[in-house]
Amino acid sequence: MTGEYRPTVALFYCQNIPQSSEDHRRVLEKKYGQSMRLFPIPCSGRLEPIHLLRALEEFAEAAYVVTCPEGACRYLEGNRRAMKRVQRTQDIISSIGLEKERVGIIIESSEAPEPLGQLAERLLERALKLAPSPVLKGAMTTKEHPSP
Amino acid sequence: MPAKYVIHTKPVAHRFEPITRSGIIAWEEGCLKCPVCVKRQCVYGVYDHRHLDARQMIDSIDNQCMNCLRCVQSCPKELIHKSLNPEYKAIGDAHWTPDIISRLWYQAETGKIPVSGAGYNGPFSGPGFDSMWTDMSEIVRPTRDGIHGREYISTAVDLGRTPRHLLFTRQGDLEGHTPNVLGIPMPILMRLPGFGSISNETVLGWNLAARRLGTLMAVPLELINSGQVEFSRWSIPVITSHESDPGRGLQGAPMVEIPWGEEWKDYRDELTSVEASPLICDKIVLEKGAEEKVLRAVDGGASMIHLEGSMGGRFVDDHSRYIKDGIRSIHLRLVEEGVRDEITLLASGGIAMAEQVAKSVICGADAVFVDFAILIALECRMCRRCTEGLSCPVEIKDAAASWVAERVVNLLGAWHNQLLEVMGAMGIRDARRLRGESGRAMFFEELDRETFSSMGEIQEGCELE
Repeated sequence: MTGEYRPTVALFYCQNIPQSSEDHRRVLEKKYGQSMRLFPIPCSGRLEPIHLLRALEEFAEAAYVVTCPEGACRYLEGNRRAMKRVQRTQDIISSIGLEKERVGIIIESSEAPEPLGQLAERLLERALKLAPSPVLKGAMTTKEHPSP
Repeated sequence: MPAKYVIHTKPVAHRFEPITRSGIIAWEEGCLKCPVCVKRQCVYGVYDHRHLDARQMIDSIDNQCMNCLRCVQSCPKELIHKSLNPEYKAIGDAHWTPDIISRLWYQAETGKIPVSGAGYNGPFSGPGFDSMWTDMSEIVRPTRDGIHGREYISTAVDLGRTPRHLLFTRQGDLEGHTPNVLGIPMPILMRLPGFGSISNETVLGWNLAARRLGTLMAVPLELINSGQVEFSRWSIPVITSHESDPGRGLQGAPMVEIPWGEEWKDYRDELTSVEASPLICDKIVLEKGAEEKVLRAVDGGASMIHLEGSMGGRFVDDHSRYIKDGIRSIHLRLVEEGVRDEITLLASGGIAMAEQVAKSVICGADAVFVDFAILIALECRMCRRCTEGLSCPVEIKDAAASWVAERVVNLLGAWHNQLLEVMGAMGIRDARRLRGESGRAMFFEELDRETFSSMGEIQEGCELE
């Protein structure tokens, strides 16, 4: 990587969306390597703001959540909870001065659900528009020069 | 009597949080904010110590939860749920099941025998080794002071060709060579697993473990040549290609493994003629016709035979046949031929539990090789990502050799203890006497046949009215 900016994206996705099996995950990992960290979750309702915040704090330029279509949640209201939680996370990060766009939610449409591979491509492009995360930069320096 | 063989274990922490069988799901929305929250009443305090591991995105709550279900039962709004972890169910495969894998993790971490709680809720018979029951009729009372007490149970076994009889000169000296026999303290040898994200450090760790345990570790010859020389006394170089000079590079290894076959005959002869020649183990793949191959190998002077099954504990070419049956039929055939006592039979392929070691020995193996179990001891999840060139989720290759060694010593320490328990319960005090002792075991297929064969056979597809 010679100066080229390659953001890392944390992608949390509901395992009930199309093409989200372990095999598909492996294909994506081979394709994107370190720039995409995939976290399959049984239900997007399992996700808490802390998951997204920790991802932003530790390694990711942006963290996105992909949920199943509205009304199609296997656990009734998991995706609705996820929506609220993503909103809350956005509030939290904007209150500390980070761009809201670093966290996002993508709700699959019930008519034409988008396969995970396409979504990943699109989200990576979206993350490219973001500036390098100031949080991560701080984390890097503290790691490189541990304070006594 | 030699000193007791005891494997000293001490707990070794995992590097990554293991995948738990179930997880807590607690909705925050709808919470009544009760003054007496059940979360605060958790006797293990898991809600207080809750934190998230960002590297793995794992919530510590699931690993600390002791499944008392108290919080689930007493939340007034029923906001707390406990559910099976789909990730747990997805690990491994049909042979390396999630339960087997997580128990191997537990044993490698603690060095203790896994205890499943009161009673046994599993099935009473199953395929493979599960269709075999060991006779524990000697459990008449608890041992006076446990398996490590005064009672002496030896797990040592001998490897190598034992002569039928000894010849002495008139002066009373032994005629000819003393038989070349190698003793190992337990019927377990280690070998490099077929895949895995391993490095030289990992192999070094396994070698360290072999040295500590006094057993042997089978590794490809190339690895021994590249800097593992000091462990050659505890290693079995596995030769897969013809070397120009057979004795070279063995560095005093007590035993070597070569494939069995006509094209290897000359190579074998050359190896035997080398000064201080090692024991030679012929590897025969467990497949159709393996029985005949073994007999021909014995005729050809083989002293040790390694039967290699598939990693799923079956025949390599036939998934419906288990290594248990393979070992047993070959053992019985050798007994018929009257040569069983002369040779050593080793078996490998999918040995996943301590009981399978004992059962293999009962079926007729002298000792077994463990391969993937020593990889799972290092937290391997059998996801096979490494076979596709993807990163290892538990970064095995970065583990320090000392950690690897301790985990493996813990695992095999726990297995050794279980072997002692089983042997004690069967009333057998020497692992050499356990070999082929099928009178102390019951086989489901045989019992089934004995009990029901007189009632006629049920045709395939026949429906009972």
